[in-house]
Amino acid sequence: MGTRILTVEDDERIRTAVKLALEDEGWQVNEASNGEDALLSFRREPADVVLIDIMLPGIDGFEVCRSLRKESDVPIVMVTARDDTHDVVAGLEAGADDYLTKPFAPKELSARIRALLRRSRATEQGVTHMSFGDLEIIPEEGRVMLGEEELHLTKTEFRLLVELASSPGRVFSREVLLERVWGYDYFGDGRLVDVHVRRLRTKIESDAANPRHVVTVRGLGYKLQP
Amino acid sequence: MSAAVETQNEAEPHSPRMGLRNRVIMVFVMGALLLSLLLAGVAFTLTRSNLLNVRESTGIGLAGRNAVLVGQQLNVEQANAEEILLDLSTPIGSIALLKVNGEWLLKDAPSFADTDIDAKLLAALDQGTPHQMRYKVGAIPYLVVGFPLPDADAVYIEAVPLDDIEETLNSLGIALFGGAAITVLAAAALGVWAASRVLSPLDEIGMAAAAIADGDLNTRLIDEGDRDLHRLTTSFNFMATSLQERIERDARFASEVSHELRSPLMTLSASVEVLSNQRANMPERAQTALELLETDLDRFEQLVEDLLEISRFDVGIVALQPSRFEVVEFVRQAIRLTGTETPITYDDDVDGTIIEADKRRLARVIANLVDNAAKYAGGASVLHIAVHDDEIEFAIIDDGPGVPESERLAIFDRFSRGLEGGRRGAGTGVGLGLALVAEHINLHRGSVYVTDRVDGQSGSRFVVTIPGAIK
Repeated sequence: MGTRILTVEDDERIRTAVKLALEDEGWQVNEASNGEDALLSFRREPADVVLIDIMLPGIDGFEVCRSLRKESDVPIVMVTARDDTHDVVAGLEAGADDYLTKPFAPKELSARIRALLRRSRATEQGVTHMSFGDLEIIPEEGRVMLGEEELHLTKTEFRLLVELASSPGRVFSREVLLERVWGYDYFGDGRLVDVHVRRLRTKIESDAANPRHVVTVRGLGYKLQP
Repeated sequence: MSAAVETQNEAEPHSPRMGLRNRVIMVFVMGALLLSLLLAGVAFTLTRSNLLNVRESTGIGLAGRNAVLVGQQLNVEQANAEEILLDLSTPIGSIALLKVNGEWLLKDAPSFADTDIDAKLLAALDQGTPHQMRYKVGAIPYLVVGFPLPDADAVYIEAVPLDDIEETLNSLGIALFGGAAITVLAAAALGVWAASRVLSPLDEIGMAAAAIADGDLNTRLIDEGDRDLHRLTTSFNFMATSLQERIERDARFASEVSHELRSPLMTLSASVEVLSNQRANMPERAQTALELLETDLDRFEQLVEDLLEISRFDVGIVALQPSRFEVVEFVRQAIRLTGTETPITYDDDVDGTIIEADKRRLARVIANLVDNAAKYAGGASVLHIAVHDDEIEFAIIDDGPGVPESERLAIFDRFSRGLEGGRRGAGTGVGLGLALVAEHINLHRGSVYVTDRVDGQSGSRFVVTIPGAIK
């Protein structure tokens, strides 16, 4: 069983061309032409990665993303053909893990998908347990506990948290986090980090406005308070 | 139009007219000055004539009575004119003069002598008519009243000093002048207050306009219910709303165009990749065609990106995404992205310098300048970094033919292709590269220009300077 990708795109020609290119890369591809079909298809046959175009007829890409997030931690890549910075941030806040701007090279998309499916380095290094006050991370089981409660993090949020936790107190620049968590080179978009940190805080902090665990170091980046 | 706007922006207007604020203050001051001068003048004149009239009539009355008295007493046998004169009761300060038998007798005459009597007065008295005159002797003004005493063949004159009136008038004058000065000062203060009251809506409008110009399109004036300002407020807000709608419409249009252009490009890009995966199975002719397709698709994508980018600048929806990074490492990465091996050199103090800027835009600037050198000068020979205070300078130097002085500004215009214009090849761009460089650098409040090489050799030197160096 190969890795299955669900592409949600209303333009049939784009859908077909992308499907052909992705299949050439060795992925299995499911297709949906609108949001409703995408949700039905995902429930029938869950995918490993979902690719969602923002502009969809009926329920839009953001909404599809939010609905998927309620039931799954599957990696989601948003696709936008517009430049509005608003689209990018809104997509990430709706729960997307990464984004691409049309027209992208399918090879670039494949690289993104591979990065999203990677396991965290801590997991690979066999770190089994980390705890910071009421926050407990169990990398090998992919679980995070806040007190007695188990938190539902997406794969990317989890990798981001584990990366920060791998060196408590050390400041990670956006560039380093982009490279280690998303596999981006030097010119990755720092907003990916910022929005993910924001999302992470709403889950692991009791007061997201005054974070106790993931702290911003102005002009430098982020660190996990030991 | 833009030229006119720019000249207006050049600080203070240099017209000789005063500012509105000063004009309002001036009107208040001039009004107060005129009014208080007029009032002071009228008050002074009235008081003066009033005082003089009273003093004149009393002086004349008293002198007349004395003259009659002297006349009666002189007619008595063996009258002693001197004694008569001494016995006279004259008001304090007044001087009585009596001419009997051609000889002047004076009473209390320290300051007014018979020689001080005006000739006209004497002439009138010689005619036998009483006469009065007002004139100054030394510094003191006198009312001089003369009566002929024909029965005794004598002349009686009284000189009444008016200096006390003068003093009163002087103090009155000072008081009036002081009053006028205070009034003028008060008017000036009132003018300042009124001007600031009247002009405060203008200040608000000015601030609102500046905020809109700065990009805060939601700025509106608050209608405070002032009927006189209502129209101005309404039209200003209407203007702001129209402007906002227009910009939003333009932005929406740019966004739609962006979608419409990128969608087919997406299909093309994915399809070409599928084709190129099958390259090995293709006949040679098809491979050649595929290569052409790939190259021109890249070119077309770049053109669309550049056009969309420049239209975003036109619509005004671009914003910097600043971050801090180490400049040498950044340039290394930016050069790596261009796929060239352009050597990097830098001054000693550049090492370790952190800069705050929009990394992606700055990388585009460097890429476009390196591309430009590749197209027109056979490639960049070096990229040199220098730092001056808080400004960082990137110089891209090439060994090409250089840019003639007449074209050094024009090459930053859109679709300008310099000397090589018209020649197209696989590597030829679309002439937006340098225009975008200028836009990106403008957004950073920096500058870009092209000059000769400093070492005097053939070639050009493109210099980009932006602020934001931290250390």
